[in-house]
Amino acid sequence: MVFKLVKREHASQWMLLVTPLLAVLLSIVVSSLLLVILGKPVLLTMHSFFIAPFENFYSITEVFLKFGPLLLIAQALAVGFRAKVWNIGAEGQMIIGAICASAVPVYFVDSTSGWMLPAMALLGAIGGMAWAGIAAFLKTRFNANEILVTLMLSAIALQLLYYLLLGPWKDPMGFNFPQTVMFQDEALFAPLFSGVRLNTSIFIPIAFTIAVWLLMEKHFAGFKLEVGGQAPDAATYAGFSAKKAVWVSLLLAGFAAGIAGMSEVAGPIGQLQRSVTSGYGYAGIIVAYLGALHPIGIVFAAFFLAVLQIGGDVALVSADLPISAVQVFQGLLLIFYLSVYTLVNYRLQPARTEKTASQGVSS
Amino acid sequence: MKTMSKLLTAAALTGALISTTTQADTLDIGVLLPSPIADVGWSHALNEGINAVKEKYGDGVTVNVVENIQEGPDADRIMNKMVGDGNDFLLLGSFGYMNGGLKLAKRNPQKSFIHASGYKTAANFSPFTAKYYEGAYLMGMAAAELTKTKKLGVVSAFAIPELISTINGFTLGARSIDPEITVDVIWINSWFDPAKAQDSAKALLAGGADVLFSNAQDTPSVVTVGEEGGAYVFNLNSSMKEYAPTKYLGVVKTDWAPFFVASVDAHLAGNFEGQNQWLGMTDDVVVVEDWSDDISADMKAKIAAVQADIVSGARHVYDGPLVNQAGEEVIAAGTRLEDGAILGIDWHVEGVNSPLPK
Repeated sequence: MVFKLVKREHASQWMLLVTPLLAVLLSIVVSSLLLVILGKPVLLTMHSFFIAPFENFYSITEVFLKFGPLLLIAQALAVGFRAKVWNIGAEGQMIIGAICASAVPVYFVDSTSGWMLPAMALLGAIGGMAWAGIAAFLKTRFNANEILVTLMLSAIALQLLYYLLLGPWKDPMGFNFPQTVMFQDEALFAPLFSGVRLNTSIFIPIAFTIAVWLLMEKHFAGFKLEVGGQAPDAATYAGFSAKKAVWVSLLLAGFAAGIAGMSEVAGPIGQLQRSVTSGYGYAGIIVAYLGALHPIGIVFAAFFLAVLQIGGDVALVSADLPISAVQVFQGLLLIFYLSVYTLVNYRLQPARTEKTASQGVSS
Repeated sequence: MKTMSKLLTAAALTGALISTTTQADTLDIGVLLPSPIADVGWSHALNEGINAVKEKYGDGVTVNVVENIQEGPDADRIMNKMVGDGNDFLLLGSFGYMNGGLKLAKRNPQKSFIHASGYKTAANFSPFTAKYYEGAYLMGMAAAELTKTKKLGVVSAFAIPELISTINGFTLGARSIDPEITVDVIWINSWFDPAKAQDSAKALLAGGADVLFSNAQDTPSVVTVGEEGGAYVFNLNSSMKEYAPTKYLGVVKTDWAPFFVASVDAHLAGNFEGQNQWLGMTDDVVVVEDWSDDISADMKAKIAAVQADIVSGARHVYDGPLVNQAGEEVIAAGTRLEDGAILGIDWHVEGVNSPLPK
């Protein structure tokens, strides 16, 4: 029998709150079973995931270090997703942002100017926006599918990064290893506290979140953006521009991802190297949806995913879990969350024929 | 009587306390590896070395291995966590862990670090590298006897000194037997990219090479292409003979056990010293074995003689005269390239066709 998902007219608000808890509970049960099969300590693993990240000050700062870029990218992507602009390429936009920002310390190795960091932020933002702008141009001019274009542009960005690291930007004293020089202090964000990696860049995602919340929830521009993407004809009729929705969505994401890339090279990494994104560009998509594309939901989702990743690292070291088991656990959580979320908002209805099914949707 | 039993209890308690303190004295060793340990390859070889430490110290050490960790901010966090968890001796198994590891070492002067393939040192931070070129030289001699096309091919990871010096060693060995031999190199810029490695190996075969060298590839990719394409093939780190049962030339194996055990010994004795560890056949770290049966007894004897000379120090792979790709003499006869210069080598010897990526 074939089933069809039908949106519930009155999804229970209470259930929406219970959803994340239920998902966590289900994945704990299933992964505990897996841990027993693997012969690993169940309680210690759970402790590693959910408690250890908060057990000492250093871990807490590390959670926020991951929280920053996840939040920044997810907020920007969500604006686009609400306008039905599917930018899958934040990863590539982040890489270009990191590259452009790195140009400053790579070409001004000895500079101690206080303008280093602002210049890097500016270049990072411009780089990310330019990269996303290519997709916006191709979409608005030739109606090229932005999913494919942004995804492919990410692959190109990665090759560009490799080219620079193996060629012109290679550290001259680095014995041919593919990385740039270590950046000087003037090109790095100052740590918030001594001895931790969390730095002043954390304020950028927070400010950005407030701005997005004001734009989308309080401002008419947010509404126009959404309509422009969801119903281009209606938007044109009302005098809103559908093309503008595409441009604004992509440029905003490029801006955020570019700044996120800049914050990584000017933060915990301190140089440009082959792995600069830690997968934030793709994880940002998950965070955006986990947060139900809502600015406040995304704050919680980004924090949750950050805890999960730090907890995963702890489990690797303290509970002696293989990295694949950690990834399975994280994957289970997301799958259960999305399944529960779907079943709270939709109901399963047997779809015998096309006709009854379409009636179901319209009813 | 009562006091006696009290005394006994006290003694027993003290004994118990002492024994717990001894147990708390076990050395915790943290190991961070860039790829899965698997059955063959780089991380496998490092793990074998650590197993030797476990064997020697038994309950005296606890080893915490975390495998398959990409370089970058996450690796740095995991190292930090290892130190925070009380690991006093750290093995960092990839070049990419260098800068994060060095920072950590400087903050924790009482802990000891050994780091694979890097070049930065600190009082408690020793980079270690194998002199693969010694084994590759012997492989070159064997390849020279078996090649018909006089063309050898290398699929290589990164154009770093460690790998450049290995290709040079291979070329010098082959041309010591037959000066007409030339070597082609394809750089794939990855330790771990089976598809690209296989494509490159096939391209080398199509170009006429009939002996392949899998330079620092962590999978049997090139080795299987050699077997299928009818070309002899050898690799580094651990034997992949089972993937090329008829065409396996041999392996330049690394046995890290002597070095790891010595480093842990030094740490426990309190005299660990951070310095460049440049380890070869003399140190029993580079080992050549699994020779192909197709190599003649005559050649095997020649190889054994050269090997004995390298071990004794009578001979060095980088003995002059050495000529670079442009045909200029770099090292004159009677002198040899120093370890420090090999550690930073950025040129190929004559006989390597492919230019170095700039």
